[in-house]
Amino acid sequence: MIAASARTRSHTRLAAIAARLSPARLSVPTFLAAWVFFVILPLLVIVVFSFFQVRSYRLVYELSFDTWQSLIESGRWMIALRTLRVAVTMTVIELLLAFPFALWLAKGCRSKSAKAVIITLLTIPFFLDAASRIIIWRAILGTNGMINTALMASGLVDQPVSWLLYSEFAVHFGMLGTSFPTMVFPIFIIISLIDDSYLAASDDLGASPVQTLIYVTLPMALPGILAGIIFTFVPLMAAYIEPQLLGGGFVDLLGNSVDSALQQLRYPMAAALSTVVVALLGLCLTAFTLLTRNRLDLSTIFSTLRQ
Amino acid sequence: MSTAARQAGLVEESALAASTRFMRRASCWTFWPALAKALGILAMAAIYVPLVWLAVMSFAASPLSGIPYPLTMANYAQLIGDERWVPPLRTSIWMSAIVALVCMVIATMVGRAITRMRRPGPVLLLTLLPLFVPGLTMGAALFIFLRIMMGLTLGLWSIFVAQLIWALPFSLLLVLVVASRFDLRLLEAAEDLGASPWRRFWEIEMPLLRPGILGAGIFGYLLSFNELLRSLFVRGVETTMPIYNWAMAASQQSQVPIIFSLSAIILFVTLPIMGALFWFLFVKLDRD
Repeated sequence: MIAASARTRSHTRLAAIAARLSPARLSVPTFLAAWVFFVILPLLVIVVFSFFQVRSYRLVYELSFDTWQSLIESGRWMIALRTLRVAVTMTVIELLLAFPFALWLAKGCRSKSAKAVIITLLTIPFFLDAASRIIIWRAILGTNGMINTALMASGLVDQPVSWLLYSEFAVHFGMLGTSFPTMVFPIFIIISLIDDSYLAASDDLGASPVQTLIYVTLPMALPGILAGIIFTFVPLMAAYIEPQLLGGGFVDLLGNSVDSALQQLRYPMAAALSTVVVALLGLCLTAFTLLTRNRLDLSTIFSTLRQ
Repeated sequence: MSTAARQAGLVEESALAASTRFMRRASCWTFWPALAKALGILAMAAIYVPLVWLAVMSFAASPLSGIPYPLTMANYAQLIGDERWVPPLRTSIWMSAIVALVCMVIATMVGRAITRMRRPGPVLLLTLLPLFVPGLTMGAALFIFLRIMMGLTLGLWSIFVAQLIWALPFSLLLVLVVASRFDLRLLEAAEDLGASPWRRFWEIEMPLLRPGILGAGIFGYLLSFNELLRSLFVRGVETTMPIYNWAMAASQQSQVPIIFSLSAIILFVTLPIMGALFWFLFVKLDRD
């Protein structure tokens, strides 16, 4: 009898193991393992890799700080600072442009078809080829481009304005359109989710529209604003196409530095520069999560989605 | 007085009155909506003016000059005569189809699993992580890991991996939006009525999740079709459409006219399709 019960127990245990090993149960862990291999591992590898060396075009697996030392001594850390400045500037500009617009789109725009058209127009750029979208700015900003031709024809300037293209201004300008939708969308979605009755209640209690904005709308929209900032800031930290096509070699950002290091087969340097990008982003993301610990966590976003 | 009030945690009356007065005055300014609209239109102009100009300049004799005159079809004729852009386009079309299919399968699988988990946070964060990593960093990291570290020969398979890493998080989000509204009791009811697990999925869950899964496929296709930064580094000797365009744009050669007309054609084909697609999505979503 004891043997029988032991057999049943081992049988159920086997069944449990079999159930756990069924293809349906295994598929998600398999996917997660592959995902860790192809996403997490490469990001960890570049950190380790930056401490290796390349001698006469061959990689030497030997711990050294040479790459980091040359990174600091050659003044390449200036590039990191410049990238940070450009990314922060553009994020602030996009936020100032996008928040009023998202607010209007979510609560002020009464026409449903106008809303659908604007959302469609904001979604389409995600699916357009970046290179051809950016290179056309050359034809607009160049010394004999559209703007300079118009300025010369109208007699406003005698010489073509040269700082329009191949300058930091041009790089910023190229980023303007690319980064706008990523800022608008999260803010628009979160403001759309705010129940109109909160705003009506605030109005009934005698708050002016600006007071409602500051004390009701802004705190409730904060998760969306932060999501917008993150989704705009992250790609800007490794912007590559804009500085390459519109910077004309005068605007070195982390993105094109990584690329040129790879071209010169200086893999540890490329790894170190990428590590700087990842580290800076990690710092910013951690700061954000610490700042908004109580307001923003995944489960609240998830429950918002569920509603 | 003021410090005492502050210590007592009271709001200073005069300061409050002043700020209220300021806010009332700011509220009275009726141009806020117009200003908001103007800012948005300015930013959207930064997206669409270049696209229109691109289409116009594809007919110009010298596209990088400022004047679209004299108008000519020469760029298009040159494009038809030149066949180097055909293989990249073919690669892109097939590659995106495979990425979209895999996106649909994995997003459905993981999306369903996440809605059944007690603590979905870690899995969700892990899958969405590529959204927080810039494309170029991901591409460089993949290149160093797969090529330099592991010594693998890169090619179509690594382009596939890179594009999947970019497209899958979006697909998962789309499936999650639908899957998190799904009522699990429907499956219990089906089980009580004796339906097999496969039948429960295929006849109950799948039809209800279909909008999300279809959306995942469409987004996966479009995102992978235009992916540049990740696939650029892990391409090996293969070329996709965005990589071809990038090479032509970055080389500063006389090839630029060709990519103008090529991009214009792709725009003419994809813009109406995408417009119709999103219109349909929003109108349908609105009715539901």
